[in-house]
Parts: sequence; C-alpha cells; structure tokens
Amino acid sequence: MERFRRMAGLIWLFPILLVPAPAAAQVNLDGSWGNLEILHEDEPERLPGPELGDYLGVPIKNAARYRADAWDASLLTVPEYQCRVHPSDYAPSFAGIRIWQELDRDTQELVAIHIHHLAYSTERTIWMDGRPHPPDYALHTAMGFSTGKWEGDVLAVTTTHLKEAWIRRNGLPRSDRAVVTEHFIRHGDNLTLMTVIRDPAYLTEPFIRTRDYVYQIAGRNGPYPCESVEEIARPEGAIPNHLPGTNTFLQEFAAHHGIPPKAARGGAETMYPEYQLKIRSGEAGTPVPVVTKAAK
Amino acid sequence: MKNRFIFLSWVAIGLAPSVFAQFPFGPPPAGPPKPAKAAAPIDLSGYWVSIVTEDWRFRMIAAPKGDSAGVPLNPEGQKVAAAWDPAKDEASGDTCKAYGAVGVMRLPTRLHITWQDDETLKIEADNGTQTRLLHFTGTPAGALSRQGYSAAKWQGAVGVGYFGNAMDSARGGSLQVTTTLLTPGYIRRNGIPYSDRTIVTEYLDVINEAEANWLVLKTIIDDPKYLYRTMIYSTHFRKQPDASGWNPMPCYPK
Amino acid sequence: MRNPKLLRNCALACALLTSAAYGQNGKAADGDIHILPVQGNVYMLVGAGGNVAVQTGKDGVLVVDTGLAQNAQKLLAAIKTISDGPIRYVINTHHHPDHVGGNVTIRMAGSTIAGANVTGDLQDAAVGALLISHFNVFNRLSAPGAQAAVPPAGWPTSPFMTGQKKLWFNGEGVDILHQAAAHTDGDSIVSFKRSDVIATGDIFTTTDYPIIDLQGGGSIQGTIAALNKIISMIIPVFGQEGGTLVIPGHGRLCDLGDVVNFREMTVIIRDRIEDMVKKGMTLEQVKAAQLTQDYDPLYGSTGFWTTDKFVEAVYKSLSDKKSGAK
Repeated sequence: MERFRRMAGLIWLFPILLVPAPAAAQVNLDGSWGNLEILHEDEPERLPGPELGDYLGVPIKNAARYRADAWDASLLTVPEYQCRVHPSDYAPSFAGIRIWQELDRDTQELVAIHIHHLAYSTERTIWMDGRPHPPDYALHTAMGFSTGKWEGDVLAVTTTHLKEAWIRRNGLPRSDRAVVTEHFIRHGDNLTLMTVIRDPAYLTEPFIRTRDYVYQIAGRNGPYPCESVEEIARPEGAIPNHLPGTNTFLQEFAAHHGIPPKAARGGAETMYPEYQLKIRSGEAGTPVPVVTKAAK
Repeated sequence: MKNRFIFLSWVAIGLAPSVFAQFPFGPPPAGPPKPAKAAAPIDLSGYWVSIVTEDWRFRMIAAPKGDSAGVPLNPEGQKVAAAWDPAKDEASGDTCKAYGAVGVMRLPTRLHITWQDDETLKIEADNGTQTRLLHFTGTPAGALSRQGYSAAKWQGAVGVGYFGNAMDSARGGSLQVTTTLLTPGYIRRNGIPYSDRTIVTEYLDVINEAEANWLVLKTIIDDPKYLYRTMIYSTHFRKQPDASGWNPMPCYPK
Repeated sequence: MRNPKLLRNCALACALLTSAAYGQNGKAADGDIHILPVQGNVYMLVGAGGNVAVQTGKDGVLVVDTGLAQNAQKLLAAIKTISDGPIRYVINTHHHPDHVGGNVTIRMAGSTIAGANVTGDLQDAAVGALLISHFNVFNRLSAPGAQAAVPPAGWPTSPFMTGQKKLWFNGEGVDILHQAAAHTDGDSIVSFKRSDVIATGDIFTTTDYPIIDLQGGGSIQGTIAALNKIISMIIPVFGQEGGTLVIPGHGRLCDLGDVVNFREMTVIIRDRIEDMVKKGMTLEQVKAAQLTQDYDPLYGSTGFWTTDKFVEAVYKSLSDKKSGAK
C-alpha cells in the first residue's frame, strides 16, 4: 500500500516530462531562397527596372505622382546616391535572400530572425523576443526596425523607423512615415513573402505585394560591393530633376505598351476589377496602338 | 502527506488529456475523420476582391501579342504565343481560353467562395462567370474541361515537439489544390498558352490583419509542352464584407 | 563620493531602458526631456525646444544649444543624469530662443578653468561655462530690445568672427564651423571628430521645410551651401547609412541619407521657384503653383513655419539682388 502511495505521488511528475520543447520556431525559414530564376511576375519592373511614368496599380496620392514625375534617373549618378541601398520592403523583391535564426544558447528560445539580401548585401534583424519599437526620435534606417511573431506557421513582421525610399525605383516614393507588415509563408521548398505598405504620406490605401522564392540547396549569395565615383562633372549639390510639366518621357511607357494613358498615372482605382469597365469604355484614355512583329 | 500524494495524483490524471493534446506525437485520433468543411483549419468562405498591384499590363488588359515577359516559355510556347489571334477565338466561339483554372484566378476578378457540400469547395469568379469546384474526396476523372479537376486537401500548421512535427490544425493551416485534366488555354490574356498536359498546384492562405484580411494564392504551373521550367507566382485578394462590386461579366477574347 | 563612471554607466543604462520602455509611446513632444545616446561621447537630448547635444568625458561636459528658457531646469537635470561633471562649454548654433533660452541656467551651472593673471583681475573669471558662438549670435542677443529674451549672463562669452573655432575636449577635437547666411547669419555646425557626430542646429531638421530667417540674415543659397558642407563632412559606413551621425536642430537622429534627402528636397524646390522667378512670376503666382505639393506630406506645416512662409523666404532670397541671388 505504501509502495502504491509513493507511485501515485510520482504520477504528477509525468505530465511535466511530456511538456513540448520550447516553441523556438513553428516552421524553419532558414536557408537561401532564390527568386532570380523565377521572376515570373513583374519581371520587367524587377529586373530591367520600371519605366518612367509606370504608376500602374499603385494607390498613390497626387503628391506621390507629382514627385515621381519630377524624378530624373540621372540622380543615381550623383555620388551620394550611387550606393544607396534598397529598403527592406523592396530589397527582397529585387533578388534572393538568406534567412537564419538567432537562438539563445541556454534556453534555445528564438531571439531574432536575420535576413541577408543579395541586393547591396544588406542585412536586417527581425526581433522575436517581444521588445518594443524604439521612440520616434531614434535613427531611421533603410532596413527599419522589425519585430515578429508566429501566426500559426506564418511569420508576421511589423517594421517601422524606415528611411524614405521608393515603392518602385522609377521615382515613386515611399515616405519615412510608412509602417510595413510582412508575412512569410512557407510551403515545402516554396516561400511566399506578402508585403503590405501603409504610407499616410503618399498612399491612399495599403499597397500589397506578394513575391515568391524557391529554396536553394546549394544557395550562396555573392558579395555586392559598391563604391561611389565621380561619373559626371556637375556643380556641387546639383540635383538632377524635371521641373513641373517638363518631363517629356512620362508618356513613353503607356505608348510603348498600349496602355490607356490615364491608367498609367496610377491611383487606387486602377487596382480593382471594375477598372476594366473604364478601360473598355474609353474612360481611361485611348492607348496608342502598338505594332507587333508578325508571327513567323 | 498521504492526502497530498493522492490529491496530486488526481490533479495529474485530470491534466493528462490537455497535456496529451500537446504531446509531440500528435493528438490521439478522436473518432472517424471529419468532413472537409468541419475540418477546415482556415475560413476561405466569403467574397474576395483581387488587388491588381502586380503584372498590371498582363492582367487588366491584354498585352501586345508576343509580350511574354516573365513567362518561361520554351520555343514551342513562344511560337504559339506569337500566333495568337483573338478574332479567331471569337469566331470559333471560344472566348474563354484565358478564363480557365490557370488564368481566371490571375484576372482582375471578385471571388465568391462557398461550400457546395461538406466535401466540395466552390469558387465562383465574376470575371468570365466561371466556377471552380475543389474536391476533397474522389479522384481526377472525366473529360478535359476549362476548369479541369481540382483535388484539394487541408494542410494544418506544423506542431512543435522534441520528437517530430505533428500537424496542429488548431493553429491554422492552408489549402493545397492540384488541378489536372485541363483543356488548353491561356496563362495570360494575350494568348500565352498552356497545354492539356498542365498540372497546376495552388496553395491558399488567409492572412488576417487588423485592417484587412487577405487571401494569398500561390500558383505553380507545370507544363512540359510549353514551359521550360515551373512557373510560380502569387496573387492576392482582400476580403470584402459583402457582395459589393460583384459584377458577372462575359469572357472577352482579349 | 560618487563614482562618476558608475553614475554614467547607470545613467546610460537608464537612458537605454528609458528609450526602450517608451516603446511606441516615446514621443519627442510629450513634455519630458528624452536622452538618446548617439555614439562615442555624445548624447542627443530631445524635448527642451530645439535638440540639444551633450558631450561628456573626464574633462567635463559640453552642451550644444540650451533649448527654451522654460525647460532649462529640466534640461539641466537631464544633463546631470548623464554626467555630474562640470559644464565647461556651451555652444550656440544660432540665436533663436528655442536654442538659447536656457543659456543662463546651463552656463551658470558650469564653470571655467581660469588661472594666472586673469583670475587676479577678474573675480568672476571662473564663474559659469564658456559660451561659444559666432559673433553674429552675440550681436543678435545683445541688440537693444533683444536683451529681455536672454539676459547678459546668457550671452556668448567667447564669440568668434572667423569661419571656425576649434577645441580639444574629452579626448576629441570639436570643430565649430560658421555657415554664412544659412538659417541665420550666425549659424555654426559642431563636429565631434572622434565621436563622429555633427550637430547642425536648424540648418537641418526633419520636421519642417528649411527654416530661413531672412530678418536674421538667412538665405536659401546659404542653406543649400551649408547642407552641402554637412554632407561633405559625413563619412557613411555603406551607401548612405551609418558612420557619421547627425543631430538635427529638430527631429530624429539622422545620418547621411536623411541629410541627402533633405538637401534633395531643398534643391528641387529651389530650382522650381527659381525657374518661376526667372520668368518674372509674382510671389502669389509662385504660391498658387503649389510647387511643394510632393513634399508637403513630409514637411508641410500649419504651425510656426508654414509652407507659405518657406516658399516666400525662398522667393525673396532668390529675388533679392542684394543677397547675390543667382
């Protein structure tokens, strides 16, 4: 009887032994994820680069449009701009990424998830330890300050403290007021990154992008050095830009691709299915006919 | 002392079920499998509107003939794309080639997702007035069709434990769909082709944010006839509270 | 006896914890003085009016600008949490009240190392910190009528007339560089060489369009020249980030990218207004053209420095032949 009592007394220990391991990560996102070989959406924008005046499908305010219209690609020849990095909400769109976890050695708790971008070899940290975001007077960076949490098997990330940057690299701006949310969704060797940009300065609605990656077993990103040089002799501080109403290149994009000219000016309405009706009725403007080569 | 041991023993027995639910080998089976509708780890039902922020000039309008930027077309596929003739499609009465299972989800459209029955999820698209049925039971059979045969299965979230990864649907999941038996159609409105040998794999995930709920659809296209490699892209939709904007439209040849 | 190192380390920890604890509620305009360690020996203090830079070390404390008069005691208390060393130097970047209002309090809380024959003749030689600025700041503060704002105890004791004044303090060079006719005619930027930090005064802010005090001798040309100078002094780690950090007159801590963005905006708007000036447009026509509409969401204000005031200041800078507008 005494033996039974002792055994019964030990029963309460058993459940403790079965407690699952600490939830370090629900799925493992570690590894190299490539997208250059699967640029199957937005390829012209992502690789060669968006054309001037391509504001299609972006819910921009007029302020963004005015600013993009003034943008001159020669700006990138100014030494201070030559090595300006892609921000964290654009860099993964441009090329592949490498992800790795940082675990507390003793507790094996997840402290942070780090991402290395092929583009400019920038790296960002997604803090997973519940720390708060910095005060509003702290430094803003191209990578911003990111915190994350797991929603099931999806990594949800919120980023603030971003430097002013771009939504497209044709001058469409994204301000330093923006808050970016991201969700990393893994299915086997496929990764989808959903990015939502909320920018009170330049967007009327959230702007969403989804990008895809494939796991690279032998993946390795090369270095991406950059050194500024004097490319063009110009007065100190000269900033190439188009004065209002003088940018004659803005119509080329729509004309080249047979796009209704008003549609190319962007705005939230261009994102929705009902815009097709405006296109068909001619409200979005009459596109310039595009001459295509005859089939062989 | 004796009473304390007995008390703790009963506490342990009482806790055992909830502990076992976390047990890394997975929860013990609880009777016969649930119907797909009851087992759904995520709720796909409702109205969703596509938000066309990507590939706009390939989705909102028909791009110029031969413009296949981003599509991994092999030479045979490029030849077919270059021969696209929308007038011919219209004359033959086949204006819905871009509205098959491959193309319709990528078109600017609203979706209405409902359960046709406990094992069949129905996706209606107002653009082209198309309907897809996703079957959780049964096997692909029958003639080729515009929407093909879609076999669906739920994927629960991966559990965590010392000994392995057990599915834990209570923490979410996604829908995997495999579609075959497709009649030839267009990946894009400007006649970028896919063949009847195409297999489409899709993953549907729901992302809930404070301000909006999103449906993320990942599409993986394998077509040995016209593509030199797998084509992968993602399309996103935002949840709507109701049927506002629902506007059934016919198929357009371009 | 208190251990200064221990006190400083505790204060630093407190500052970091304070910064972290504020989390999303860490707002600069909540009435408190917020301390942000920048790098090296330098801290940025936010909430006193204009931003304040504080450099500390074994030699004592150096303070760049002193905020508004009503916040002076709070500012002093905040400085004391960073270091209880003697305040040896106060530097004014320009003469505006939100940067010099605390001059008396901060300066008189400090002391100057004086000796030899000077102390014999001047009994108060060691009283108060040395207050350094460009001579035009002294002129502005001591002008008849201006004395009520800052009494004589708060006037610069060590003004300089040439383009530059140099110090060695707390193990690093401190370079005080005059920028002519920028925000005002008395602007200085302060460069901490080893800490690699630049305090810019109101030549550069993140909160408003460039504030050009025409009455105070400022101009758009000088502002752009000063921004170019600041940019030339910054060495980033990579791209436009890191390396030399910048404490603006108002707003958040910055680096090269922020200054470049600010300069880009300033130059572009200057170009637009200049184009209209050359075409003979009136100020009203320039305002009606809304040439700042793309930057208004970032810098536009209905407060003290409105968009209209900025446009007017640029227009007048460019139209005034005496200022040598091009």
